[in-house]
Amino acid sequence: MTVLVVENLEVRYGAVRAVRGLSLTVEPGEIVGLIGPNGAGKSSTLHAIMGAAPVAAGDVRLAGASLVGRKPEDVARSGIALVPEGRRIFGELSVEENLRLGLAGRRSQAGADDAVERAYELFPIVRDFRRRTAGALSGGQQQQLAIARALVAEPDVLLLDEPSLGLAPRIVDVVFDALAAIRESGLAVLLVEQRAQRTVALADRCHVLSNGELRLTLDRDDAADTEKLVAAYFS
Amino acid sequence: MILGILNVDWQTLADALALGAVYALMAVGIGLVFGVLRLVNFAYGQLVMAGAYALAFASQWNWPRWAGILLCFAIVLALSLVMDRLVFRPLRTQSPAVMLVATFAVAFLLQSVALLWFGPLGKIASSLAPLNRPVVISGVDIRKIAIVAVVVAVLCLVAVQLLLARTTVGLQMRAAAMDFRTARMLGVRANRVIGGAVLISGALAAVVAIMLTVQTPLVTPDFALRDTIVVLAGVVLGGLNRLVPATLGGFAIGFASGLLGGALPTTQSQYLPSILFAAVILVLLIRPNGLFTRGRESLERV
Amino acid sequence: MRRPALLAQLAAPCALVVAVALLGTLVSRSSEGYFVDSLVKVAIVVALYVFIGNSGVLSFGHVSFVALGAWTAGVLSVPTAEKPAIMPNLAHFLRGTTVGNVPSLLLAALAGGVFALVVGLALMRLSGLAAGIATFGVLEITHNVLRYYEKIGPGLNTFSSVPETTGLWQASIGALIAIGVAFAYQRSRFGRMLRATREDAPAASAVGISVYRQRLGAFVLSGVLAGLAGGLYVHLLPMNTESLYLDLTFVTLAMLVVGGATSLWGAVVGALAVSALDSFLAQAENGVKVFGGTLDLPAGTRLVVVGVLMALVLILRPAGLTGGREFSLPRWRRP
Ligand SMILES: Nc1ncnc2c1ncn2[C@@H]1O[C@H](COP(=O)(O)OP(=O)(O)OP(=O)(O)O)[C@@H](O)[C@H]1O
Ligand SMILES: [Mg+2]
Repeated sequence: MTVLVVENLEVRYGAVRAVRGLSLTVEPGEIVGLIGPNGAGKSSTLHAIMGAAPVAAGDVRLAGASLVGRKPEDVARSGIALVPEGRRIFGELSVEENLRLGLAGRRSQAGADDAVERAYELFPIVRDFRRRTAGALSGGQQQQLAIARALVAEPDVLLLDEPSLGLAPRIVDVVFDALAAIRESGLAVLLVEQRAQRTVALADRCHVLSNGELRLTLDRDDAADTEKLVAAYFS
Repeated sequence: MILGILNVDWQTLADALALGAVYALMAVGIGLVFGVLRLVNFAYGQLVMAGAYALAFASQWNWPRWAGILLCFAIVLALSLVMDRLVFRPLRTQSPAVMLVATFAVAFLLQSVALLWFGPLGKIASSLAPLNRPVVISGVDIRKIAIVAVVVAVLCLVAVQLLLARTTVGLQMRAAAMDFRTARMLGVRANRVIGGAVLISGALAAVVAIMLTVQTPLVTPDFALRDTIVVLAGVVLGGLNRLVPATLGGFAIGFASGLLGGALPTTQSQYLPSILFAAVILVLLIRPNGLFTRGRESLERV
Repeated sequence: MRRPALLAQLAAPCALVVAVALLGTLVSRSSEGYFVDSLVKVAIVVALYVFIGNSGVLSFGHVSFVALGAWTAGVLSVPTAEKPAIMPNLAHFLRGTTVGNVPSLLLAALAGGVFALVVGLALMRLSGLAAGIATFGVLEITHNVLRYYEKIGPGLNTFSSVPETTGLWQASIGALIAIGVAFAYQRSRFGRMLRATREDAPAASAVGISVYRQRLGAFVLSGVLAGLAGGLYVHLLPMNTESLYLDLTFVTLAMLVVGGATSLWGAVVGALAVSALDSFLAQAENGVKVFGGTLDLPAGTRLVVVGVLMALVLILRPAGLTGGREFSLPRWRRP
């Protein structure tokens, strides 16, 4: 069953048309990639799904129910979690408090402790540093915290906005491995990235967005095809 | 020694501490709402004024003390919620300057309503007047209210602190004050944290109303107006971005004005507002982001 | 911009002022006061506009300049013989000095400007909330000093015996001067630079505009106009420090905001619209006849209504009645 459907999505900021007629779907247990150059409209798409960017036309549906016009907190509580661009950790709060904030997105508070425990298992470093001030963590640790914070809500859909931004290659491995594990657990993942090759290799499908429009869709085999990637980016 | 130079006696010191404590509570009330809404509530003093009228009417009707206090809380909390609903909510997307002018308008509106309903002469809130009597502590006369005010303020500050630090909604309020947009995308309900801040802020206004009516039992439409202006100055002085500096700012300006007011001879103490505000302006020029904040944080984006 | 359109931007507010003045000549002597008052308010609000409208920085302190202008013109206009009665502690050099009507107004403008310069030199570094509070502080200090410092005025007493020279004539000329100056300023290089800082301060500084200097210029200019308006005000009716404090600050800010803070047209429209409403309500508080019945509102209704109006406009239409745009002639689209 398709869990997330984006249909002819149109995002406008005044005169700026950031996303034009974008359609995509994500199934449970699947990673769908969304790549494209700066300003392509990737973040705008995620924000529109979250109800935090103005949707001018089109529809976003979660398990059949439309999300358009809902408040961000209601979208989060209906089962979509976002790992925002730049991580957006609350630097003055402790690591644990950051995680507890993620619990706000849960549909029910029952089982919250287990969810936190599972997030700790996926990212042991978050558990080790749980008493520290989040702002004191390194970029990679903060990114793991941001993903853990999204996961404790136990969403059906996980949206990630450039999780590998500014990370050392070794940490990128950690993050991408975690995403693969998350997929195994049956979540639907929509992954926005700039690292085209790695994303195409990881994702089940990968859409290329440019200037707000969907240009083409690549599958995992295209990862090796550098020419096709370059063409997709610079056409 | 400094006390000797300023010619301050212990009673003045106690009164100054009490004023500082009350202003600190007002500063927390203003700072909490600013934290989640980025809105400086100029009309905070009118919440206090409404509470004071509630107390005055209760004593006019010879209600028992507890009933008057209950009425005070009920009125102030109700008015806070109405203010949030009718004014703050529609203004949420406006610039801070528009919000400031709007709450300025609300302050005037409420004051004029009080003038219209209750007249310019004022009413007396007398049920708590016995607190004005002094107690003798090791040979020094100290008004009971000074002690009560300090104790109550400390208790309130501790309670607010516990609420912010230990409860989920407190955590969410702190997060919302740092980054509201992200907090909402995590599932933090905007109306809930704002409602929480508004209610706590209202409850503090009710407490302030009780403390102030003991010191000034005559309740007029401009009750607490001047205090609010002074507290606002203190809060901006301390640094509005965080609760602790804002509270310290409120306390400092209350304490300073209490001390100067008591220590200066009348010919000079009539210029107290000038001295106070000149100091405020001076500090703002040196540290526009606040006295008790670290250097680079900018106040806002106006 | 096309010349006729530009001309209309200046002519429309002027025409409005002239119309109000002409209307004022038709009404009874007792109602005339309201018209004169509204014209003085136009001058004050335009003074406010010159700074707030063009810079986008809030000021709660402009009534200080109005107050100093009023004090200057008042002290210098009370006949020497009557000074000891209302101002027994007046400083020696003021006791014997009395000037004519027009010089007193000019000196009021000068005093407003100099005061604004002194205040602005320090305060124009601030913006946002800090600026709001600091300008409020200036108002507090001015009010406090004028209230108690009896060497420069009547202190707590009411400023009586000032020749009441501000009639329809002088008030409308004052309003027109304010409008003319504000218009000339906003069309000038300086006005345009300041508006650029309002839209995007970092970008404006990046192209070499000194935000501080441009703001200071506008602040002083608006101080001059506010001082002039204060002079006109004190020549209109007997006043004391309380008439030049929070209420006036509130009412004039309300006028600016209700009209639309970012345009001269908005300032003038707001001042006149709120004045009209205010005077009507003031009359109604004393009982007026409308539509055959008598409307008799309780005292204090005025500020309530003005407060509601201001809050409503801010919430529903934050750009003001005019949308913050200058007056423009209705446009005919070419086919
Ligand atoms: N709040 C906003 N207001 C106005 N324009 C916006 C806003 N947010 C984004 N835009 C514009 O929309 C377009 C798409 O921006 P978006 O942030 O979605 O791009 P992106 O693909 O995420 O880029 P990046 O890779 O740099 O993060 C850009 O032209 C941007 O300037
Ligand atoms: Mg982006």
